[in-house]
Amino acid sequence: MFDYQSIINALIECDQAKVIGLVKEALDQGEPAGTVLNHGLIAGMDIVGERMENEEMFIPEVLMAAQTMGAAVEILKPLLGEDDSAAKGKVIIGTVKGDLHDIGKNLVAMMLESAGLEVHNLGVDIAPEQFVAEIQAKDADMICLSALLTTTMPMMKQTIDAISEAGLRDRVKIMVGGAPVTQEFADQIGADGYAADAGSAAKMVKAMM
Amino acid sequence: MNLKGLSGGLYRPLSEKDIETVHEASLTILEKTGITYESGLDATLEMLEQAGAIIDRDNGRVRLPRKLVTEQVARAPEQVILYSRDGKNDLDLTEHKVHMGTGGAAIKILDLETGEARSTTLNDLYQLGRLVDNLDHIHFFLRPCIPTDIQESEYDINMYYACLKATGKHVMSGVNDEAGLHKVIDLAAMIAGGSDQLQARPFISVITSFAISPLKLCTQSTLIMQEAIRNRIPVALSAAPMSGSTSPMTMAGTLAQLHAEQLAGITICQLTNPGAPLLYGGIPGMANLKTMGYLGGGVECGMMNAAIHQLANHIKVPNYNSSGLSDAKVPDAQAGWEKAFTALLAAMGGSNYVHHTAGMLESMLTVACEQYVIDDEIIGMCYKVLKGIEVDADHLAMEVIDSVGPGGNYMIAPHTMAHMRSEYFNGNGITDRKSREKWEKDGALDTRTRGREIARKILAGEEKSYIPPEIDQAIREKFNILL
Repeated sequence: MFDYQSIINALIECDQAKVIGLVKEALDQGEPAGTVLNHGLIAGMDIVGERMENEEMFIPEVLMAAQTMGAAVEILKPLLGEDDSAAKGKVIIGTVKGDLHDIGKNLVAMMLESAGLEVHNLGVDIAPEQFVAEIQAKDADMICLSALLTTTMPMMKQTIDAISEAGLRDRVKIMVGGAPVTQEFADQIGADGYAADAGSAAKMVKAMM
Repeated sequence: MNLKGLSGGLYRPLSEKDIETVHEASLTILEKTGITYESGLDATLEMLEQAGAIIDRDNGRVRLPRKLVTEQVARAPEQVILYSRDGKNDLDLTEHKVHMGTGGAAIKILDLETGEARSTTLNDLYQLGRLVDNLDHIHFFLRPCIPTDIQESEYDINMYYACLKATGKHVMSGVNDEAGLHKVIDLAAMIAGGSDQLQARPFISVITSFAISPLKLCTQSTLIMQEAIRNRIPVALSAAPMSGSTSPMTMAGTLAQLHAEQLAGITICQLTNPGAPLLYGGIPGMANLKTMGYLGGGVECGMMNAAIHQLANHIKVPNYNSSGLSDAKVPDAQAGWEKAFTALLAAMGGSNYVHHTAGMLESMLTVACEQYVIDDEIIGMCYKVLKGIEVDADHLAMEVIDSVGPGGNYMIAPHTMAHMRSEYFNGNGITDRKSREKWEKDGALDTRTRGREIARKILAGEEKSYIPPEIDQAIREKFNILL
């Protein structure tokens, strides 16, 4: 049995060379790619997410860890079987119309990807009807709305209303986030979930899937 | 005690050589790296191109030769006067003259009665205006909160209306689009008695967040900025990068990038309407690297905001910036030290128009009535520091030292009578200097409670509208006023 803790530790330390070396080593020893992904990389990112949530890690370190994971996944990809690569869920994420901020939203997208989800990041300034169209096109399970400006928060409600009007509300879970957003606001506008940071967002999305 | 417009320039975190170095770095950034833009700015790009900018439309880059930048920046006025309507609070923004006031777009307020955070309303905005109108050291009223109880489409006109009704101090706010700007100019012109009167004595001004750091022009805000400049309504060129996320991790790097963004914005404005009044609007800030949220209370915010004034002063443009924020959630000890440190550093630096200095908590998300009272006191003390120690014959007191003589006392000397109300700072009553016994007898009230009592008393006072009834009626007939 391969010592997956070594991959987990190297990932938390953002040591890309070491992680890649260990992933290759595991494969050489005959470990299945799917196991390396789940027991090594995703398990490591779960801890990174937790530390991020507890503010025990700087975000630039979290980004480095995710980048390291991405590089390691590239090695595993050709070896992953159909079952392994089937994502745990499809998520659409974007910043609502009128708002051009994307750092926090991209952070959430990255953490969701690292958690093994299929993520479609639409970008910023996304109109309600675009979200609706993408839910249909991608057959999404979850939609994540972001806003940084206090003035664009009402657009979150309009987006949720548009999803309801399109008859898609029962098909997707909706999460909202961004600096000014609160649980109370999420409840008010009829979202299914709210997370205060990218670490807890990933955890919550996984739990909802 | 009115201590408005005293001079800073006492705290200079950058040496003369540092200023030159950063300024040169910024010119190099504009020439070499350039800036980018969102779509929809074709006319602005053409204007820049005709003036000599090199535009790479395939890669979305505008590179500004230093000659172009230097020439245009030199056209910006060295002095901008933002007028009040009470006649007492005109703001003469130039050199190192310091004015401090409110700011923000908070969405939560600590309710004056319950003490708990709740959503802000249009009435809150109006009441905060009334409160600030009565706090002497807060010299202008920049719309501090968003009326979350009205439709977004009604924001522009109603926010300006609420502010202009509540206070005679200078009013600054933002607008959503060019149409909103025209409505607001219209509203202000009605109050001024015509648009010529408004241009001659602008008692409103506009904030436009024209830059999305790093180095990107926001279409909507750039268009609003240019339109205000065409109408000669003073504009603050707000840009607020956070070190570590939207500007370099280091303070010097953040200053260099931000100064470059400002130079680009000023160039666009002066090409649009040469000589039009504007405020350099660089607000250096910090990211909380554990959450990527905004950090407002770091002591470095005070240091960098003093430094950015040096850079604005270097190109002889009055500046708008930010200090006196706190990351604390309630008016506690942390709020006290963060606000006092950063506000004093910005004031001692000589920043001309410092917003966010009163009322804010939780970085920029929350306001509290009692915090305005506390911050009025902090700002007053900042001004006192700028006033300094007077050393003329009267203040040197040689005569009274001789007449009281060795072993006497000064308690009832005429010299004491003459100076006792002016030599030391007299605040608004929030500062407790009682004996413990008296303090306990009066209820052992803490700072926050004392602040709330003062705020309640002010707000319970008679309401007076700064908009005359007949003009008010005309405004209400023309616009959808919800207050």
